[in-house]
Amino acid sequence: MAVTRIDQVIPSLAGRDAIGGHALQLRDLVRSRGYASEIYYGDATADRLEEGLPIDRLGDPSSNGRVLLYQLSIGSGVADVFRERSERKFVNYHNITPAGLIEDWIPEVGEEVRWGRAQMGDLAAVSEFAIADSRFNERELQQAGYRSTTTVPLLVDLASFEGTPDRAVDRRLVAARERGGTDLLFVGKVSPHKGQHDLIKALSVYRRLYDSDARLHLVGGAISDSYQDAIRRYADELGLSKAVELAGSVTHAELIAYYANADAFVCLSNHEGFCVPLLEAMYHRLPVIAYDCSAIPETVRGAGLVLPDKSPGRVAAAVDRVVTDGRLRSELADAASDRVEAQSLDRVRQAYASAIELAAAR
Amino acid sequence: MFPACRAEHTLRPPRLVPELLGVRPNPFPDQGAPEPGRYSDPVPPAPPPQSSVAGGPGDRDGAEGPESSEPLEAAARTRHLDQVICEIGAEVERRRASGDLPASLESELDALFLEFSPVGLQAKSRMRQTLALVDRSAYIDLAVPVASRKVVGRSLKRLIKAGIGWYMGFVVHQIIRFGWSVSRLFHVLVDRVEDLERSVERVQDPGMPSSVVPRLDAARQWWVPEALRAMTGVGGRVLHGECGNGTFVVMLTERGIDAYGVDPDAQVGREALDSGVDLRSEPLIDHLELVEPGALAGIVLTGSVQWLPSGDRRRLVDLLSTRMSERSVLVLQSMTPEAWSTGSSPIVGDLAPGRPLHPETWIHLLQTCGFATSEVFSGGQDRRIDPVGPDHPGATSVNGAIDAVNRLLLGPEEYLVVASR
Repeated sequence: MAVTRIDQVIPSLAGRDAIGGHALQLRDLVRSRGYASEIYYGDATADRLEEGLPIDRLGDPSSNGRVLLYQLSIGSGVADVFRERSERKFVNYHNITPAGLIEDWIPEVGEEVRWGRAQMGDLAAVSEFAIADSRFNERELQQAGYRSTTTVPLLVDLASFEGTPDRAVDRRLVAARERGGTDLLFVGKVSPHKGQHDLIKALSVYRRLYDSDARLHLVGGAISDSYQDAIRRYADELGLSKAVELAGSVTHAELIAYYANADAFVCLSNHEGFCVPLLEAMYHRLPVIAYDCSAIPETVRGAGLVLPDKSPGRVAAAVDRVVTDGRLRSELADAASDRVEAQSLDRVRQAYASAIELAAAR
Repeated sequence: MFPACRAEHTLRPPRLVPELLGVRPNPFPDQGAPEPGRYSDPVPPAPPPQSSVAGGPGDRDGAEGPESSEPLEAAARTRHLDQVICEIGAEVERRRASGDLPASLESELDALFLEFSPVGLQAKSRMRQTLALVDRSAYIDLAVPVASRKVVGRSLKRLIKAGIGWYMGFVVHQIIRFGWSVSRLFHVLVDRVEDLERSVERVQDPGMPSSVVPRLDAARQWWVPEALRAMTGVGGRVLHGECGNGTFVVMLTERGIDAYGVDPDAQVGREALDSGVDLRSEPLIDHLELVEPGALAGIVLTGSVQWLPSGDRRRLVDLLSTRMSERSVLVLQSMTPEAWSTGSSPIVGDLAPGRPLHPETWIHLLQTCGFATSEVFSGGQDRRIDPVGPDHPGATSVNGAIDAVNRLLLGPEEYLVVASR
């Protein structure tokens, strides 16, 4: 029977979230190809409530040309609802943080990700097709027993960064820059596996060896008060309380201001299934310095410095190199533009459309 | 994965012709064949999936596209960035050699951050470091140095080494086996300890934010007259545990009682402290640990005493039995278990580490350390429902139900136990 509708199922449809944004883009894409499409969520933030429907509105199981696509990134009861449905099932995998990277700090999230990994295995038997954001993710799908897989990156609308930066944040950052000092930026949830404490170590060494006025801006909400408190106290203890800004969750306009006023984007995460902020930094032609792990090299792909380890001395030296070597910075910026062009929304939309339509037509 | 740096590399990157970095878009670069060098897959792909979209953009074999020059450009870019990475490594080595970047600095940064990390993580790191030392010590080197400033000495040492080598080898082999067995045992124990720590941390409740903990203002408490009466005439120092803003300590001192208070929140009692009231900012149990045995003639317990976890409660009772003098008086105020879910804030109700006990249970616990209970008072908001009159239809069964509801859910919210010995 011909597929007439492709509905997505997602544990949480959230604003300021890469997977939430991806789900909306995918819904619009699927609709533009002539399919009916809705998003069914377990929960949603207030700004996304109207973009989808609660999971209990999925309706009676039907095999009349309907495909359900599950956005897999965490353990959730929504996955169990999805598994029990009788419709054809696809999975879109965004990776699940290994519990060992997080459970010492946030045991409850450790449990959630363990649950997610178990559900990932359970869904392999009932899903006929799975899409991963990266080859790194695709390999995990294959190891979990998924038979038919492919890799298509996240649908990210980088053109949205053409907007105007938030005036107040921009003014503050510009004023700081005028007083001198390098501005380092990282964007991502404040969480132990993202390695914000390693960034503070690197800043400490960078200030000691190269630029005593350097600042570090950590943009992103905290998933753990304990970790955020720890890095704040750590920065205080190192005398960096004024040099390290924990900006928290910011608006899109504020985020644009942070990208516009940074000298380098530094990512020392221990685990990334894709890492959208790397692309965002490249869009802003910021030099990218990242630690080589998980899907990071795939996402950077020659448009940034990928370091073999994240010892503070090495990271500090890398920052100094991109800040002081104008030619390298220019080359990295050009390479970043190429990378962004290759990853443009139109191209990824085409790839997604082909992948889903070919799988649906089987 | 990372290329070895060539010793003869230049300190500055070779100038790249712009064309090498120019745009030459692949229809879908992520799906192309792995690039050579750093960006290739670190492990060979798993057995190939049965791609259901053969030839589509997701098909890694079919999407490289016709632009044959791109791999060359990508390779040039990769080589250049590899060169930069090597130069960064050389810069780090130079800084280390010059003393700008002492080897101890990075380990000090790590150690400092561990101080702010969860206990399990700290212990894990230290235990693993210690184990590494044990592992290193478990090996005994049989190659005895034979160097000597005198030729005869060196020959003699070689002779001894050769002469008893077979004997020493036999003994040392057994000692090494023993050392490694002990080391293995420690590894097993550390693994087990880490498992247990993870289990403990998993069952721990998230901490209760201090902002939701109610702070005592004795001026508005129903139990104050009874507590004052109980403490009148005690022959020594009186401690008010979790004293809040210190109002009750002031009331005691105004009656000539030698009283002081402790509270973990330094801010709440600052005003009283500034006006000369004897308040200390520390947790009650920590304070009692430091008090001399038999030093206190009276203790008034209020605040979070009612929701102490069982281990802390047991420790508190032990401390009461040793820190209080003969003929001392103890006053304890608590919410009732029945009022816990409705009378406390939802966050406190859910996240407090323990739950209030019935007065009978406190009486039992205090008896175990020699206290006899003289009085129990009830107070606080009383939300009991009045029974219906005898003329009401079905009055007997309705009143029975009201009695049950009053007993299980309503009734006085708090109680005060006065005990002495």
